Amino acid sequence: MLKGFGPLLLKELKELMRDPKILLGFIIVPLLMFPVLGYVMNFSMETAKESAAKAAVLVVNRDSGANSTEFIAYLNSSIKVFTVNVSTVDDAVSTLSSYNATGIVEIPAGFSNNVTARIPVDVKFYTVFSGAGLLEGIGSSMVDALVEQFNRNVAPNVLVPQKSVIVKGRIVEGVDPRILSSLVLSQSIALPITLIILLTYSMQIAATSVAMEKEEKTLETLLTLPIDRFAILMGKLSGSTIIAGVGAVAYMFGFNYYMGSFTSTIPTGTSIDLISLGLVPSLFGYLLLGVSLFVTLLSALALAVILSAFAQDVRSAQSLVSYVYPLLFVPSLALMYIDINVLPFWLKVVFYAIPFSQPIIASKAVTMGDYLTAGLGIVYVAAFTLVIMYVASRLFATEKILTVKLRFRGLRRREKVPTE
Amino acid sequence: MVVAVEAASVVKVFGNIRALDGLTFSVDSGAIFGLIGPNGAGKTTALRIVSTLLLPTSGTVKIFGMDVFREAAEVRKIISYLPEEAGPYRNLSGREYLEFMARFIAKGSNELHRMVEEAGEICGLRDRLKDKAKTYSKGMKRRLLVARALMTRPKLSVLDEPTSGLDVLHSYHVREIIKRYAKEHGVTVLLSSHNMLEVEHLCGRVALLNKGKIVVEGEPQELKEKFGSPNLEEVFAKVVGFA
Repeated sequence: MLKGFGPLLLKELKELMRDPKILLGFIIVPLLMFPVLGYVMNFSMETAKESAAKAAVLVVNRDSGANSTEFIAYLNSSIKVFTVNVSTVDDAVSTLSSYNATGIVEIPAGFSNNVTARIPVDVKFYTVFSGAGLLEGIGSSMVDALVEQFNRNVAPNVLVPQKSVIVKGRIVEGVDPRILSSLVLSQSIALPITLIILLTYSMQIAATSVAMEKEEKTLETLLTLPIDRFAILMGKLSGSTIIAGVGAVAYMFGFNYYMGSFTSTIPTGTSIDLISLGLVPSLFGYLLLGVSLFVTLLSALALAVILSAFAQDVRSAQSLVSYVYPLLFVPSLALMYIDINVLPFWLKVVFYAIPFSQPIIASKAVTMGDYLTAGLGIVYVAAFTLVIMYVASRLFATEKILTVKLRFRGLRRREKVPTE
Repeated sequence: MVVAVEAASVVKVFGNIRALDGLTFSVDSGAIFGLIGPNGAGKTTALRIVSTLLLPTSGTVKIFGMDVFREAAEVRKIISYLPEEAGPYRNLSGREYLEFMARFIAKGSNELHRMVEEAGEICGLRDRLKDKAKTYSKGMKRRLLVARALMTRPKLSVLDEPTSGLDVLHSYHVREIIKRYAKEHGVTVLLSSHNMLEVEHLCGRVALLNKGKIVVEGEPQELKEKFGSPNLEEVFAKVVGFA
């Protein structure tokens, strides 16, 4: 045993554990955050499964035999089925929304004869693709389960599912929705990860910068100069934004390369071109996404500046900023796998209200051509940022920037303001 | 005689703490005035109010006739402030730091150049000005900051513990800088120190501060004679009742 190690370790633990900022930021926050995240994920999955079970499908029946009627009745026992009389499947696509349906099953002519003769017959399943998320695969899994069950009851491999997707109202033949979802997910996973890294680092940079100014008392010097105090705030925000922006570009490049190495492992079977499917944002979409990222970054930096104003040193500032991380981690990680539209209403409201979730919501929205959602998100975050910046400018305009201090009542004795 | 600083019945309250309790003093233009007292006496709070950083809870402070609250922007044009134990920006060189600070005051590049050159002479750091400030010793940093506070030739320079934590030689150097600059350029200096012996050699007039109030004020020699004490330290001890 190292001589003196015991007392040193004990001192270190006391010193760290008695600092309420560390206790809250590094121990209590993660202890609460991950169970909350787990609950959100679990709850969302259950909700999505329930809604998938309630989902309706349209059946286009080209067969007039008894087996097709039996097959429809079989489908109807698990999901809501509407039989439609249309000349083409494309016609059925346009009626999907009126039935609130998310899929189409096309039973070919001669289905009953083939089933009776135990000759494999292709049945086409078309699933509406509404965005990236693990839950997109639920519909596809249900089809697999239904077909397997039907084959087991009738004859092995007699019914052969041919899966296709409907993207933005257009049928894309031969693309399994689950595989498409995996591919889109693998592409879109880069944004939440990059966002988490970018915002946490940026907030740390901004908080450290303000705290350093306070610790070294350079801020006091600046505040006595004949300059606009708002300029001090804007200088700080702009500097941090530029550095964070450079960092963002570096992360985007690095992470895209990293993710690129994964796409080859996706079991596509068929080559899926996301660009031709319209599942890559347009130039305008990318522009909206960039603006969304920028305003979110600005809001995070402004928040970090305010929080660090309450700290007297760098360590305290970093701890204070870490309290905000759950608001960043929970929506980012949850929305990485789940489409916000499948969430229950109250959770949807909570996620929309958190400014840091907006770029992820925007990225999915612009991919699906929903520019309004992305635009409204930008307006919301911009308004949030303006409020935060106004509070920050008020803080810088008064003596509070030097005297304000966060107190943890009950956790420690009230600290006195240094008065010399 | 023009009055540089005029503080009248200044009170400053932080929560339950009354940091200043009716502080009244005045400083003549061109003088070096010392606020002295123990830790926690209210020196820094007083200097921060004079420097427009804090607002008095009550009372008034005027700098060359301008109110620090109502005319703060104008006051900031004629003062410079050196906080206690302040540092320069660690990753800027000494020269970059001086240029950065001079830019806010100088009217044109000639004046900026003059200020930086003058600051270089004042601090005596010569070639080391090219190095990052994080490589400087504590004494070098303090000399740089004192030079920064004086290079703009402010009408009033407010220096909080200008020699705090410095060794004898660095303290001597900083004191000489302040004395010389105040004399040559007519800069009024308001400084604080808890080192009363040092203040005797530097200030033409001192005010002894205790618990937010001035307990006695005058020229160092005058105070020593009045209380029959060999130095200001003993004067203070007698005034507050320790001796």
